[in-house]
Amino acid sequence: MERRISLPMLILAIAGFAYMLFPIFVVVLAGLTAGEFLTFPPEGLSLRWIAAFLQSEKYLSAFFFSFRLALMTMVVATVLGTAAALFLSRTRMVGRNAMRAFFLSPVVLPGVVIGYSLFAFFIATNMGISRTIWGLWIGHILYSTPYVIGTVGAALAAYDVSLEEAARSLGASPWRAFRKVTLPNIGQGIQAGSIFAFIVSFGQFEVSLFLSAPNSEPLPIAMYNSLRYKFDPSAAAAGIFAITLVTASVLLTNRLVNIRRLLERQQD
Amino acid sequence: MSFVEFFGVTKAFGRTVAVEELNLDVRQGEFFSLLGPSGCGKSTTLRMLAGFIAPSTGAIHVHGRDITHLPPEGRDIGIVFQNYAIFPHMNVFDNIAFGLVERGEDRAIIKRKVDAALEQVGLSGYGERYERELSGGQKQRVALARLLVIEPEILLLDEPLSALDKKMREEMKFWIKNIQKSVGITTIYVTHDQSEALTMSDRIAVMNQGQVLQVGTPVEIYEHPNSRFIAEFIGESNLLSGRMGRDHVAIGDTAVPVSGAEGPTDAEVALLVRPEQIRLEPVFADEAPMLKGRVADEVYQGSLRRYLVETMGQRLTVEVPNRPDLAQLPPGADVSLYWRPESGVVLR
Ligand SMILES: Nc1ncnc2c1ncn2[C@@H]1O[C@H](COP(=O)(O)OP(=O)(O)OP(=O)(O)O)[C@@H](O)[C@H]1O
Ligand SMILES: [Mg+2]
Repeated sequence: MERRISLPMLILAIAGFAYMLFPIFVVVLAGLTAGEFLTFPPEGLSLRWIAAFLQSEKYLSAFFFSFRLALMTMVVATVLGTAAALFLSRTRMVGRNAMRAFFLSPVVLPGVVIGYSLFAFFIATNMGISRTIWGLWIGHILYSTPYVIGTVGAALAAYDVSLEEAARSLGASPWRAFRKVTLPNIGQGIQAGSIFAFIVSFGQFEVSLFLSAPNSEPLPIAMYNSLRYKFDPSAAAAGIFAITLVTASVLLTNRLVNIRRLLERQQD
Repeated sequence: MSFVEFFGVTKAFGRTVAVEELNLDVRQGEFFSLLGPSGCGKSTTLRMLAGFIAPSTGAIHVHGRDITHLPPEGRDIGIVFQNYAIFPHMNVFDNIAFGLVERGEDRAIIKRKVDAALEQVGLSGYGERYERELSGGQKQRVALARLLVIEPEILLLDEPLSALDKKMREEMKFWIKNIQKSVGITTIYVTHDQSEALTMSDRIAVMNQGQVLQVGTPVEIYEHPNSRFIAEFIGESNLLSGRMGRDHVAIGDTAVPVSGAEGPTDAEVALLVRPEQIRLEPVFADEAPMLKGRVADEVYQGSLRRYLVETMGQRLTVEVPNRPDLAQLPPGADVSLYWRPESGVVLR
């Protein structure tokens, strides 16, 4: 269906997008500055800070650390989140709504609270994982899984359970029916959820602040630390790489999954 | 002989009792319908037989074997859902092949059987299509073909026609019945549409509020309902309240003869007379009518006229076929009404 958008609405939408995208625009231009300092508008354009980023041991290792952490987080969050969404959609247990709210709560809780609580918990229980990649991983999983639960939950809400029942009565075991019928039909939701988990983990700041080890910092923490001491455009250059990676993964998902269709299904 | 048996099956969802103390006995090869209003527990009964939900108490036997605790894939029972449940990510061929693949049949056999099934349901050449490219009637054919290839012992259909338009419904009604007859498969058909149940079934179980009220052939159910609920639920009905006499029912001051009524006299009863069983005639001066009435309203319905007639202080619906030799009576006309004693059914 072709929907006509009225002119005031269109102006409002453009203004909204401009407001949201302006900071990104600023970062990209600032990272391309030819000057010595992080300024806007930039003092001429050059790739010198991009080159600086690519030569910086600190940033590159932070970038790849974040990338690895986001991948590890994505794998676990996808499995856990899909399992949780399946359980929530199938159970008739009393208190399932409270349980859903609890599972989704990391989205609404301030990241600082989660980060601090986990940090305190690791220290108090003396588990030996505070300020290690494992503790950080746990924090990121906790923070990313709700996004998977949300998207897979939406896919399951649109999924007709009688498909799985039909498969069962045609002779498929529970596992075969899940794999051959349910999984292909909620696959788009799972893919979208896992990309969300990746992006959320890659950009995570507050939880990482409490849980990351000094010598292996994720990219946002490295950028923050560098900006604390000198106002150096290489942070903006790092930002350009982060933005590129996230944009690429969104575009990739958009090719794999029709996010629009997923959201539309969620509405009806 | 009995093939599918329910023994005292009860299913409760929390505090809702969906099915209560259900006893059923379906014979091999018969077309058996579960008929009842929405929410009476038909689907629940079917889903217990298919194995998707477990009874709270009671047992279900097939072939004398207790299947109450078998999983759906161990039951050899096929089910067609109201929305057909065609797998949207597979084409028609793979949908129909699904059960055969699960049984580990080899590819050549699968191909042959699926092609034969497509032919049987009149969809040859549709193998490559997907669910979204099929009409409602075609989806239904695919759903049925998907079951028939695995030759289950029992076929379950849950309101399979309710998603179709009226014309398609009529067509599919006969089509399903024909397929069932030619395959000879024991079929349990769920519907809330009495005309479907009457035209298709060998026997019908009428349900209400989780209980079976009557089991019988369409003729028995229509002509000898055992309760007011069934009389009103199935077909058009006139229920006249009166008092039971020895060979008649006293309605007001009039004694209406009935045949073959049993049970105690002097009890409050309802007399059921179907609208098409009543004959209406104009009143002639030299004749004492059996029952006097007056036309209150007339509705023209093409093939018949439906009259609302006041008689004995109550209102009756009468259907008169639209033929020139039958009297047309304007509202307000005095009429006499006739029906045979055996057309009246006494309901207590
Ligand atoms: N999974 C369930 N949880 C709770 N209650 C249920 C469940 N399934 C059915 N019921 C209840 O059990 C009763 C019978 O439901 P059922 O689906 O068997 O009715 P039905 O005769 O098939 O009706 P319809 O013609 O509307 O399909 C209803 O009151 C329904 O609300
Ligand atoms: Mg139902």
